Amino acid sequence: MQIWRYIKSTQALVQLTGQSIKLSVLALAMSLLLSCAQLNLGLPGSHDGVLPVADNHHMPQAIKDLLGQADQQFLQGEYNASLATLERALRIKPRYPEVWSRMAQVYLYQGKFPQTRQHAERSNSFIKNNADLKYFNDKLIQTAREGIQP
Amino acid sequence: MPAKKAKASTKTSRKSKKHSKSAPSSNTKSSSKIKHVLFNQYAYMVYSAFAILFISYVVYLDVQIREKMSGRIWSLPSHVYARPLELYQDKVLSIEDLSKELTHLNYHKTNTRPSQAGEYRILNGSHIELIARDFTFWDGKQKSQGVRLSIYNNKVGKIHELYSDKSISLLRLEPAKIAGIYPAKKEERQIIKLSEVPDDLVVALLAVEDRRFYQHWGLDPRAIARAFLANIMAGQTVQGGSTLTQQLVKNLFLSPDRTLVRKINEAIMSLLIEFHYDKAVILEAYINEVYLGQSGSKQIHGFELASQFYFAKHLKQLRRDQMALLVGLVKGPSWYEPRKHTDRAKERRNQVLQLMFEQEIISEVQLNKYSQLSLGLTNKPSFSKNRFPALVDLVKRQLQQDYNEDDLKSAGLRIFTSIDPIVQSKVEASVRRILPRLERDKNASSELQASVIVASSQQGEIKAMVSDRNPDFPGFNRSLDAVRQVGSLIKPAIYLSALQQPRKYTLATLLDDTPLHIKTAKDQTWSPQNYDKEFKGQVSLLQALNTSRNVPTVRLGLELGLADIADTLHNLGVVRDIPTYPSMTLGAFSLSPLDVANMYQTFAASGFHVPLKVIREVHNKDGKPLKRYPLESEKTLNEQSVYLVNHVLHEVTQTGTAKSLKRNIPHDLAGKTGTTDDLRDSWFAGFSDESLAVVWIGRDDNTNTGLTGSSGALSVWTNVMQQLDISSFSRQPPPGIENHWVDAQSGGLSEKYCQGAVELPFISGSAPIEKVECKSGGILNQLRRLFN
Repeated sequence: MQIWRYIKSTQALVQLTGQSIKLSVLALAMSLLLSCAQLNLGLPGSHDGVLPVADNHHMPQAIKDLLGQADQQFLQGEYNASLATLERALRIKPRYPEVWSRMAQVYLYQGKFPQTRQHAERSNSFIKNNADLKYFNDKLIQTAREGIQP
Repeated sequence: MPAKKAKASTKTSRKSKKHSKSAPSSNTKSSSKIKHVLFNQYAYMVYSAFAILFISYVVYLDVQIREKMSGRIWSLPSHVYARPLELYQDKVLSIEDLSKELTHLNYHKTNTRPSQAGEYRILNGSHIELIARDFTFWDGKQKSQGVRLSIYNNKVGKIHELYSDKSISLLRLEPAKIAGIYPAKKEERQIIKLSEVPDDLVVALLAVEDRRFYQHWGLDPRAIARAFLANIMAGQTVQGGSTLTQQLVKNLFLSPDRTLVRKINEAIMSLLIEFHYDKAVILEAYINEVYLGQSGSKQIHGFELASQFYFAKHLKQLRRDQMALLVGLVKGPSWYEPRKHTDRAKERRNQVLQLMFEQEIISEVQLNKYSQLSLGLTNKPSFSKNRFPALVDLVKRQLQQDYNEDDLKSAGLRIFTSIDPIVQSKVEASVRRILPRLERDKNASSELQASVIVASSQQGEIKAMVSDRNPDFPGFNRSLDAVRQVGSLIKPAIYLSALQQPRKYTLATLLDDTPLHIKTAKDQTWSPQNYDKEFKGQVSLLQALNTSRNVPTVRLGLELGLADIADTLHNLGVVRDIPTYPSMTLGAFSLSPLDVANMYQTFAASGFHVPLKVIREVHNKDGKPLKRYPLESEKTLNEQSVYLVNHVLHEVTQTGTAKSLKRNIPHDLAGKTGTTDDLRDSWFAGFSDESLAVVWIGRDDNTNTGLTGSSGALSVWTNVMQQLDISSFSRQPPPGIENHWVDAQSGGLSEKYCQGAVELPFISGSAPIEKVECKSGGILNQLRRLFN
């Protein structure tokens, strides 16, 4: 829970500061999440809201901005709006596994387990070289199978 | 009343005279008294009945008024919107396509730097400056934004704010309205709140139409008297004495006939409406109701829509001379129709300007300036015509699952779709161009018909659809309703069924291509033939699919079991019942082009079935989200076996029945031709990384077209894909795939560059174990092996 609060506060910081800080916070949150997972703290259980975007330097700015927007909507509990924004990103670039994985996570928070599994599997099918994201997706699939809503 | 009484008394006296002849005179007085009393009672009853009737009638009118005013006052047509165009760096887009999009959005092209929303200019044929309008999307309201961008070699460069160097990563233009779903009476309107109506327009409107609006109770006796006098002087009707309230009542409830009964109704209802509602409500209703023009069969109602119809601007953006024109039009929208009768309309506008001057809305200098101006009209906007009938039909059918017909026609829904007008116009152009060419050059039958569907490969969003060789014709929707035999399009499903058993079948497995005789149910024998009427002995599974051989396919299908194939088809997304007779293995059953598109979408998305859809979101009339149709994506098939089939479908476009594609399109594509008996149907289904397209060509009477899949449908498919922004479909293998060199003839393991050896993908562990001797091959192959 401490970690969750920490991530929430870093998110508040993101809103206050600019994009550059945001990216580093995303990376920080990612490492925290992964450590969460490794420590078996029930990774998707905390309302963290930020997914691994390990190598997002290759992403066009438009996609990065849409992901940022989707994150904000997700954190505000506007799950449907977040999904709509992520679909917008897919229309521009349909093969970024990060986008599909985020959708899976939003569905998990909505308690829509079949969709969580489907989108995480789809994300996996687009991963070329991102073991962290694969690990994260598998975790999402497992959580969805067990039917545990965060 | 006095007149009636007089009449009544004459009647009485007449009656009494009658009686006096037959009755004794002594009784005359008393009986007449009684009669008088009786008559008074009788008259009283008649009066009471009249009064009750009258009151009931007023109550009836009152109910009518309150029902209409408190509920949904107007039937608002629902509107279908195209996808919003997203602009970002590196997006493939030509200046021409962007200009077309802006034209459809009723943007006004200027020669100076755009100064208000809805204006754009093009500089040197490559730079565009525009101010996007605000719009309420699913995710909230997007503010109007001015940008400048350049387009070189059909690619968007960096985007900047119009008046600064700040870069913008993404700009979403508002979506174009492509069709309306109308109630029986084709009224178009856009509701505006009174608070959003410019004050000047209200003052001008009252000055012209009803100066004592805020003083009267619905009727203005002074105005009626004035009009009466004026009309008598002129000898004809030159002036109306109707208040705004009366005009509103007339428009909302009554017929346009000039009868006395209607006039009385109008007066009563006007008083009632004033009794129930305050002036602001009445004025707002009037501003939204008033009829201000005609666009084809559609009536333009309300000032907001009229403003967009004549000036392509919101009401609040209008100059005062433009407001004056709209106010002037109230008197007679067809008589003063400004696009037709410019001089007449100008004269009327100037009359209104004069009144505005008298009301001190404008100064004398302004009056002179405005009176000189031209009307400033835009071209007739495109919403006057419903575009893309086949797509709109699909939208309606998908909506009917969630909404009833009445709501669709009257609830003012805003339906956002994935329809891409740029792609659609290219597909339409291809059909218009290629079909006559096929009829001319390939000796194909005349009266060919076609269906084309284009969707996004990964998300299954339908972008374009044509269902008639004349795409504007809203007739039979072939893409949905022409259920035709699919021929060889079914083959990938059979081979996929086989490849899902990797221990038994691989791409190198040899299949029997020898004569086959099958006993059918009616004690008859069916002997399937190959297209070339030959038998090759043995062919690899890859070659059998690549060159679309019939006999090995039938044999394979029977070996697998027809029910298994039907299951695979369902997993691919086909929802129709699949028959299980042997000839189904050659596609002797019927699907619609949309069914086929659903099936091939699953190949395009590597085994994830995404049901094709066209609607993204539905909003209510106030822009509030009602329903979202989210992306659904279900893994129904094993990725590895789909990868193997896609490997062959790519081979089809390189060396197989669609090898012309290799020459015509410089990208890796995958697809399959389909031809049915007697050349009745010509099919091609295929995909790139982004786009999936299905083309069907045939005749409505189901007779010979003279075309195969590759000579007919493939020509249209090629032409469509050449115009789209596509890139090679991803041939990246999923985990669990390994490549091996095998001898194509024997199917045994071989080595790189051996003669007759080909490199094939296998599901891990399924490659043949048996090795064959490496045939040395030519000198080049020997050298390659040496240096490998």
